[in-house]
Amino acid sequence: MDDWEKENRVTDARSEMNELVAQSMKNYEVKPNAIFAKLSDISGAFSKGLINWSRSNSVWPLQFGLACCAIELMSFGSPRIDAERKGFLLFRSTPRQCDVMIIAGWVTKSMIPEIKRLYEQMARPRYIVSFGECATCGGPWFESYNIIRGIDQVLPVDVYVAGCPPRPENLFDALMKLQKKIGGKIED
Amino acid sequence: MAVTRINIGPVHPSTHGVLRLVADIDGDTVVDVQPHIGFLHRGVEKLVETRMFMQNPPYMEKLDYVSPMSYDEVYVAAVEAAMGVEVKERAQYIRVILLELQRIASHLLWIGTMCNDIGQMFTAFMWGFQDRDMVLNLLEEAAGGRMFYVNMRIGGMVRDLPPDFADHALGLMDYMEKRVKEYERYLERNPVFMERMKGVGVLSYDDAKNLGVTGPVLRASGVNFDARKNKAYYVYQKLHFSTQVQMAGDNLARYKVRMMEIRESIRLVREAIKALPDGDALGMPVKLILPAAKNRISIVSRELPRGECIMYLVADAQKPYRLSIRSPSFINLAALNFLAKGQRTADMFGIMGTLDLVMGCVDK
Repeated sequence: MDDWEKENRVTDARSEMNELVAQSMKNYEVKPNAIFAKLSDISGAFSKGLINWSRSNSVWPLQFGLACCAIELMSFGSPRIDAERKGFLLFRSTPRQCDVMIIAGWVTKSMIPEIKRLYEQMARPRYIVSFGECATCGGPWFESYNIIRGIDQVLPVDVYVAGCPPRPENLFDALMKLQKKIGGKIED
Repeated sequence: MAVTRINIGPVHPSTHGVLRLVADIDGDTVVDVQPHIGFLHRGVEKLVETRMFMQNPPYMEKLDYVSPMSYDEVYVAAVEAAMGVEVKERAQYIRVILLELQRIASHLLWIGTMCNDIGQMFTAFMWGFQDRDMVLNLLEEAAGGRMFYVNMRIGGMVRDLPPDFADHALGLMDYMEKRVKEYERYLERNPVFMERMKGVGVLSYDDAKNLGVTGPVLRASGVNFDARKNKAYYVYQKLHFSTQVQMAGDNLARYKVRMMEIRESIRLVREAIKALPDGDALGMPVKLILPAAKNRISIVSRELPRGECIMYLVADAQKPYRLSIRSPSFINLAALNFLAKGQRTADMFGIMGTLDLVMGCVDK
């Protein structure tokens, strides 16, 4: 994710100025007492764990479906699977309230700028689940002239789900994996 | 008041799939709306030309992902017509049963999403998906897949129906008949629902014919046309069902046509299961080299849940030379501009909901 952000970072005069200010402030930094440093480390670790725990238990997906897999995405919220019991609350319609974007369907060339824009509007930390074969590698449309072969060519993906379309249970599994990843229990 | 131009979509909860609308609104009244399509275009018609006949059904299913089996069947029927192959009688009955189950599933999903469009009646969404899942279970039992089945072969089916299928299907039909009544009681007694459906988006008899809309939208405007009846195929002329026609032409009429179609489908499934003949239902194995196409050109028309789909196939020896698809959603989308003019902005989405668009089918 860091590489992507570095490449796509908007550099303007204001951010450069902020960096200069931060550098000049370093000279005036007061070195804290050793005991306080230890305490802040402990509380920092504790609060980090707390934040991760709360983040991983309230993953809000974006209401965004592209194609066939979007129907299974809707089934995911329906009574049979009942996504809310694990903290994947109601699908939100605005990217500003969401943590995870589920790319459900094939990504056409005309859709890339829209998806990028949605991703940029999401608040950090933000995650992407590539749901289904079309979003993962192009799927059956691999030879098509208007499809990109996998969303990971444009955006960083956290969890891939295989299947055409995957069952809603698979999405549940993928989001539980994502919870573990947010909680720091599994590595990248 | 000045006319304002607003952009809706392509990612918007009320647009079905990825559809961009550019609407000119005056206050809250829609003056003009232009749909911009093509966000899901992947060139199916071109991809199909590079593959053998029976490699293509999976592509056809992804056109209309709410009723995949129906599209599969249209394509296979076009290939059968090009090869001059007769479908076995038991296979015809099985196809009728499965297609009608698919129609029920499609209409149930439509109820759920449409009620979401007209004002957050989330109960209908939950009910629709709950019942649709039951129909999908049945289809999974018969065809092996949850959403995509690919269970048609030239001249028949991939596999026969499982032994318990008839009992399960009849049981589900009894349940579904009760549920349809429940849906009607729940929705038609709801003042919000009636307010937003009755008299909104009226399409007259002549306009419906001139715009060329198909399926339930056409029948809701009083035109008595159903490809199952008028262009009788398979065993539909042996079975008893009636074409559902409403005269009003508004949103409510389109809703009523679909609800009555669920009832007719239940009737058809029951009758077809009762009349199911014994015998062989399997089609030609794909591994054998298929007989070369006899007729170069075949045109096949079928009634899908969304309307009449026509496929025009120009056949080479082993591949389609050209496949042209007239998709019902694309035709019905053309009516949106006509219907939304002069309506409230919020009602535009209700109208779009009752047109029942699937964007995979529009963009191809």
